[in-house]
Amino acid sequence: MARDLMFQQEIKDTVQRAYGAITGGAGETVARRHYSDQELAEVPAGAVEWALGVGNPVRYARLQPGQAVLDVGSGGGIDTILAARRIGPEGRAIGLDVLEEMCERGRRHAAQAGVEGWIEFRRGEMEDIPLPDASVDVAISNGVLNLSARKSRALAEIFRVLAPGGRICMADLTVEGELPPEVANDQSAWAG
Amino acid sequence: MAERVFAGKLQRAGFADVWVGGHQPFGIDQAALYPLFTPEVIQVMRETIQADHQDHVATGVIVKARRPQ
Repeated sequence: MARDLMFQQEIKDTVQRAYGAITGGAGETVARRHYSDQELAEVPAGAVEWALGVGNPVRYARLQPGQAVLDVGSGGGIDTILAARRIGPEGRAIGLDVLEEMCERGRRHAAQAGVEGWIEFRRGEMEDIPLPDASVDVAISNGVLNLSARKSRALAEIFRVLAPGGRICMADLTVEGELPPEVANDQSAWAG
Repeated sequence: MAERVFAGKLQRAGFADVWVGGHQPFGIDQAALYPLFTPEVIQVMRETIQADHQDHVATGVIVKARRPQ
């Protein structure tokens, strides 16, 4: 048990260190795989440059004006900003990220996008979301759950903050079978 | 995490109507575009993963579910 907790902390530290050290996202090349020209035109260039996701959860989330949306692991804010545009000023978009510098990037990009009036970025962990019970209508995330060493705990937290009838829409990577141990045991692979 | 494990974790958390779709192959060349994968681990992946699997190391998916009323 103590060893498991140490391992979880090691993964958490590795992921935070890796994300804190990067100087940019995956960039426009990757963003163009996941987002349409129209969607990319809706967000500032900085948010595109800082995109680190593996899909486009907003496209599948069927967001409606006035909804409250939580983006778990919001990074530079590309999905939070797209969500804010879908829900409009009657709604509320909340980006959650464990790194304050990512939250600051999100705020800057949201201001550039002109959606700062109904978007906010909070520092916090997906395993301990700083929101009340049943306070959001939709939770999205993009390539984030796999970074958690406590995935069940993170999902339980998302369940808690969703209102009854609320929905989750996540983009992530799945792996069938085993990766070679040289890859699976590499700390960089955990963060990626 | 395998797709069925992902879906199972959602169900155990209490979610209903779990849906997985939007499958897209994710290969080593794509991983190399992300700054979080170091050049060293990309090289290890190229050396240890069979050549015919290198363009589909993982699968990008969209997962949707609903908290019951």
